[in-house]
Parts: sequence; structure tokens; C-alpha cells
Amino acid sequence: MEPHFGEGGKWSRLAPLYEMVDTLFYVPGTVTSTAPHIRDTIDMKRSMFTVIVALMPALLFGIYNTGYQADPGAGIMQNVRTGFFAVLPLILVSYIAGGLCELLFAIIRRHDINEGFLVTGLLLPMTLPPDIPLWMVAAGISFGVVIGKEVTGGTGYNVFNPALVARAFIFFAYPGEMSGDSVWSLADELTAATPLAVASSVQGTNAATLVSSAGYSIKEMFVGLIPGSVGGTSTMAILAGAVILIATRIANWRIMAGSLAGMVAAAFLANTLAPASQNTMLSLSPLHHLVMGGFAFGVVFMATDPVSASQTDKGRWIYGILIGALCVMIRVLNQAFVEGIMLAILLGNTFAPMIDYFVLRQNIAKRQKAYARQ
Amino acid sequence: MDVTRLKKGHDLAIAGKPEKRLTYAGRPAWLKIRPSDFHGIKPRLLVKEGDHVKAGAPVFCSKNNPDLLVTAPGSGRVATIVQGERRSINEIIIDLDRSESFETFETFSEEAVASLSSGRIKEQLLRSGLWPVIRQRPFSSVADPDRLPKAVFISTMPTAPFAPDTDYLLEQDASGLQTGLIVLKRLTGKPVHLVTGETSSNTILASAKHVVHHRFSGPHPAGNVGIHIHHIAPIRNRDDIVWYIALQDVLRIGRLFLKGKLPVEKIVTIGGESIEKRHYVKTRQGMMLKDILWDNRLEDNSRLVSGDVLTGLKSLPEDPLGYYHEIISVIPEKTGRDLIGWLMPGLKKYSVTNLFLSRLRNNQGARLDTGMNGSPRVMVPFGNIESVLPMNILPTFLIKMILARDIDEMEKLGIYECDPEDFALCSFVDASKTEIAEIIREGLEYVEKNG
Repeated sequence: MEPHFGEGGKWSRLAPLYEMVDTLFYVPGTVTSTAPHIRDTIDMKRSMFTVIVALMPALLFGIYNTGYQADPGAGIMQNVRTGFFAVLPLILVSYIAGGLCELLFAIIRRHDINEGFLVTGLLLPMTLPPDIPLWMVAAGISFGVVIGKEVTGGTGYNVFNPALVARAFIFFAYPGEMSGDSVWSLADELTAATPLAVASSVQGTNAATLVSSAGYSIKEMFVGLIPGSVGGTSTMAILAGAVILIATRIANWRIMAGSLAGMVAAAFLANTLAPASQNTMLSLSPLHHLVMGGFAFGVVFMATDPVSASQTDKGRWIYGILIGALCVMIRVLNQAFVEGIMLAILLGNTFAPMIDYFVLRQNIAKRQKAYARQ
Repeated sequence: MDVTRLKKGHDLAIAGKPEKRLTYAGRPAWLKIRPSDFHGIKPRLLVKEGDHVKAGAPVFCSKNNPDLLVTAPGSGRVATIVQGERRSINEIIIDLDRSESFETFETFSEEAVASLSSGRIKEQLLRSGLWPVIRQRPFSSVADPDRLPKAVFISTMPTAPFAPDTDYLLEQDASGLQTGLIVLKRLTGKPVHLVTGETSSNTILASAKHVVHHRFSGPHPAGNVGIHIHHIAPIRNRDDIVWYIALQDVLRIGRLFLKGKLPVEKIVTIGGESIEKRHYVKTRQGMMLKDILWDNRLEDNSRLVSGDVLTGLKSLPEDPLGYYHEIISVIPEKTGRDLIGWLMPGLKKYSVTNLFLSRLRNNQGARLDTGMNGSPRVMVPFGNIESVLPMNILPTFLIKMILARDIDEMEKLGIYECDPEDFALCSFVDASKTEIAEIIREGLEYVEKNG
């Protein structure tokens, strides 16, 4: 079978497809050709699969919550079933449409299919409202894969997180399906405002009171039984994923810690300004910011994408702090985009190379100093 | 004394550690010299097939410096000169005499050495052919006799897998150590840095004179000389030269001056799970691996490596022990393919990362073979490679600049301080299976040629 896909074989153009299927089942049997003669068992498949595992708590909870939001009284089994049949098509469409784009580029550009897509293809549906039309998912993921990733050289060379590019595309191209109060629930007759929308709905009052009078307690929002995107509502489930990512060191804890610190600092700053302004959102506490909207999901799973984030340890702190602070700033100051985390991370991605540039210059200066000292 | 404590790195838990038992390799019939072992020397042959050479007699010299000699490690007839492409010299094979004769050099007492001039020492080292044991950074080439270094480094705390234990080596025979150190001090007039492990209680080393003592601790590569140089006297530019010598070679330099003949013996370790007897062997320069392993059995499907498993050279039994190598490693060759590796819990899969269950038992029972364990991919900076490099160097960016062939940026990012052996663990842990150590080697070769 293999020779057909090798160089000069009749299906040699499809070699990336063969490589993908082949290595899916068996680890390549290649041996080291040069020193070091031994290698760690880690590979890209295992690394990316670990991210998928980390996404599972949020996804499973999301499935349940999707059903729960459609009909809270139907019982757990019914909720899970409803949610499953609502979320599964999103994921399938995302994987199939995005996978085809990925495969097409792999064949044209003659590179192997990168496992990073497994993560991108799952991240996107988890950031979408559950009743989004499927063709939008397909359009979004195609845009994310092609424009967000392949045009700049493919996995490893992308400037932005491809899943976020896809989400931003859907958000700006079809705002009617991505915002407002009716999109977050499967049942069309139900309107459910997300806590962030509630908090920004009335001016000149206290956001925390608004949120709690709409029936959202901190505890409820932490657990996640609230309207919102498929995977982003449950801070609790996302934290479980964060623990997996940090324990395996697949995601860098500095980015998460930095984002949290940046968010807390910015939120406290906003709090001190609150009495002087009519802006309700200024009065939201850091805890509210943490449990409301996509902050936790974005920081844990999106900002930590190692390729589009800063690639130095010091840079990761700065990058994280920047994202946390920007998120609060966008939420508070620009209420057309109450869901600030998406834009905050995209802006963070934009600045990441520049942050690295300065860290690099500092490293060079430090070395020069060590040279002078000896 | 200050201890430099390093945290980054990894001590490989690899099976087949050599026992502390010394055996003797018998007298071989043949010896081989490989010019490719001597980085930086373009060989010009001084013998032809059929010539008879004494041990310590010149075999070839450097085209750039006729004084820089490589001499015969034993006396005998030059049997074959194996040539490769474009008349390069691959191997010089010597048919060893039954009773060997040695070139004689002047002998000195330890006190007499202390008053020798730098020029006289250099002359003796060059003429005997022992000079090439001294290597220089940057570029890890044989030291240039015409350019003195700013410092000399000797590491006595090897952390590489199966490396010979310093205390055990000195227990066997420590003669020549102090003389060797004095020679180096007199030769260069610059500080000779002797680096020992934090926990070392070796009195011979501790009482060594004419050296600057340092202590280091930490996992591999904390014992590599490149790491010591980085933390003690970092290399600033391509003309900022540092010399380094293996401990056994310091002893040999001492013995050359004390006894007046080329010392050709050295002790090597044999390690790895695919060889029957794992121990220390007293062998000699230029011996074929099969002669060193004459009473030892290799398992089928094993890989023979001259040197350690992280930096050594894949070898055949007929290949000679590398000139600078002190370890022979034999590890299982990977056969077959593992089923759905990305999904399995991996209780027996070796990994530095926390992605497999084996980590819970610190990789005990996990085997290491020659498998790549994955497909090559574009690099994704998870931070693995940084976690095993105890240097103030940003490897991800340095690699990018090497691939871009940007000499200016490579220099700024510290390429001259780098050596492939210090980046071997980076290749080991990288998830994208990028040959990082090879890229560093490419970068060094590129700046050496074009810088």
C-alpha cells in the first residue's frame, strides 16, 4: 500500500492523507539517524490530544447546559440528549469543513497534516452559540484555517489563533446570529440574556445588583448553568481543563496567571472609577469578570496557544497581563462588544511578536553585561 | 567556594549503567586513525602504505600548520590508507607490531615542568601528537597552537549517561594529574578552571594546585564543559578562545612529560541494556570497537554508539573508538510500530514531560530505544526545549536565526557559546522531532565559514 503514496507512486499527491491515517493508528517506526540516538516519547499528536482531553470537561458540561437552557425542567438525561444532538453537528461540520481545507492545503503545499487542527476544529464550535446555522460554522472554520493559518505558512507560523480568527469572522460577518438575547438558547421562543448583556443593559446603576436580580448568582455562573456559548459558560469545568494543561505543561501557566493578574488589576481600577461615572460595567468585581462570559475559556484555551502567544517566559507574563487588562477595558468601555476576551486575545496575538522582540533585546543586553563582567 | 546550582536539564534514567569493575582489552592486531575525529585539521599525510611507524611518530599533519601533528597510537606498519570521495582520507590502518617501540621524548620531574617555558611545552605536546587532546571553543575544534586562550576548562563531573566516574578513574591511576595541570598553566599563563561536582569529596582533586576550583550541581548537561564556560567565562566573539580538555587527557599530558613517551591508554565505560557485560575497560587509542568488546556479546537488533547516547557516533564493530570518546553505548534498535501511541496511557513510555503515566514512577521501567517516537512537524514552542537548557540563551529564537542564516542575529543571541552537545537534550525532548542539535551544528559551521 505505502509505495503508491511514495514519491512517484500513483497517489503520491495524497501522501499527507496517507501519513495522517497511517500515523493515526501506528506510531511511525522510524529510528534516529543522528545524535541523540534516543528520543522522548512526546510527539505532536500526544501534545494536541492532551489539549482535547483538557477541553472535555467544558465540552461535556456544555452539552448538558445546552439542553438545560432549552428546557430546564426536562431532566438530566433529556437535557444531555438535546444538547448532544445540538452540539454534535457543530463539531462534525467544523471538523469536516476545516479538515477539507487543511487537507487541500497539505496536498497543494506538500506538507503533512498538522495535529493542531484537531484543537482548532473543536475550539471553534465551543465558542459559538448552540443554535448557529451550520453553514456559518463551515464558513467560519474555512476562513479560520485558510486566512488565519495557511496564508501565513500553516501551523507554527500563524500570527493569530486560527479558531479565534474563525470566531471573529462569524462575529463580524453575521452579527445577528452571534449577539442579542435570542441566540443563546436552542428554543426560538425563549430569550435569555447572558450575564454580560444583563450587566451592560442599564446605565447608572450597579452591575452586580443587575446581574443578581436577573437571577445569576456568582455560584451559578461559576458552575455554568447560564446562557452562553457551548463550551464557555462553566468556569468550573474550564478550571478542570486548566489543571490538566498546567500539570502537563502543554499550556504555559504564566499566560494564565498573567491574564488573571491583568484582569484583577484592571477591574479594581475600574471599580475605583465607578462612582464618578454612569457606566454600570465599571462596578463589576474581578470575580464577576472571571465567571461571566468567555474570559476563563479564552484565557485557558485560546490565549495559551503556544504559536500565537509570546514565546519567551518574560514575554508570556506581559502578554497575559495585556490580555487580562484589555479584556476588562473592552468589556467596560465598549459595550458594543461586551464579550471582550475575543478581541483582547486577538490584540494580544498582534502584540506578541513585539513583546518577544523587546525580551530578546533584553536578553542580548544581559549577555553583553555578562561578557563585560568577566 | 561558591556552588553554581543549575535546575534546568534532565538526568536520563536509562538502563545499563556500567559496574565499577575494570577489565583489560587485550592487545589488538590493528589500530585505526580517523582524521574526521580531529575537527579543524585538514590532514596532509606524512606516511604511505607500507611505512613503519613507532608509537608517537607523525602520521599526518594539518595543512594549515605543519607543526600540528597526529601521531601513531602504536608502532607498526601502515597497512592501508582508506580514501573516500575526492581523495579525502577516511582511515589509516596500522598493523600493530608484536613488540612495540616508542618515540622517546624528553622527561622531566614535576618540579622541572614548573619552570619550563611555554614554547618548550608547546613543542613537546605538538611533536608527540598529544596536542589534539586540547580543543577550543567556539567551534569545538583542535586548539590552534598559534593562539593562546583566555582560560582553560577541565570538567571532572560528567553528567552524560554512562560517563566514567571521576573518583573511580582517579582511584585506578591518578599519576600525572598535577604535572598535567602545571603544564597547562605554564603553557597558557591563563587561569585553569577545574570544575568538580557539588558533592565531590575527592581529595586528589581538592588538593590540586595551580588551578581555579569551581563547583557545579544540577542535572545533565550541568557537567558539560560548555555550560561551565557559559557561567564562568562566556565566549564573547569568535576570537574569544577557551580551551578544554578531558580529565583523562590531563593525566596523559602529565605522563608524557614524566615518562617521555606518548601515553596511548585510556579507560572507557561500556553501558546500555543491549550488551552483556557493562563495566570499565582499559583500552588504547585507536582500537576497534570489536576488539574492545572482544569477550562481550551484543544483542541482536542493537545499536553500537561510540560516545554517549546523546552525542555519540553510530558505529560498526570495525570502527575505531572515537578519539575523544570515553563511553561505548549499546542500546536496543527500535523495531516494529506501536499501536495508537497518542491514546495509550504510556506506563512504560519514557518521557521528560508529564504527558504519560510513566512520569508518576519517574520513568522507572520505561525503556529507551532508538525510535523517533513520532513524525516530524513544524516546531511549536511548548517550552520543552527551554526546560533542559541551563544557559541564558533563547533556543527557539536562536534556531530561527540559524535557519534564516542571519549571522548578525546569531552572534547577538550567543551562537559562539553554543555547542551541539549542550543542545542534545533539546533534540531529545522536542515534540516536533526537530534535530535541534544538528541545527546548532549547522549554524556553527555556517558562522565559522562565513562569519
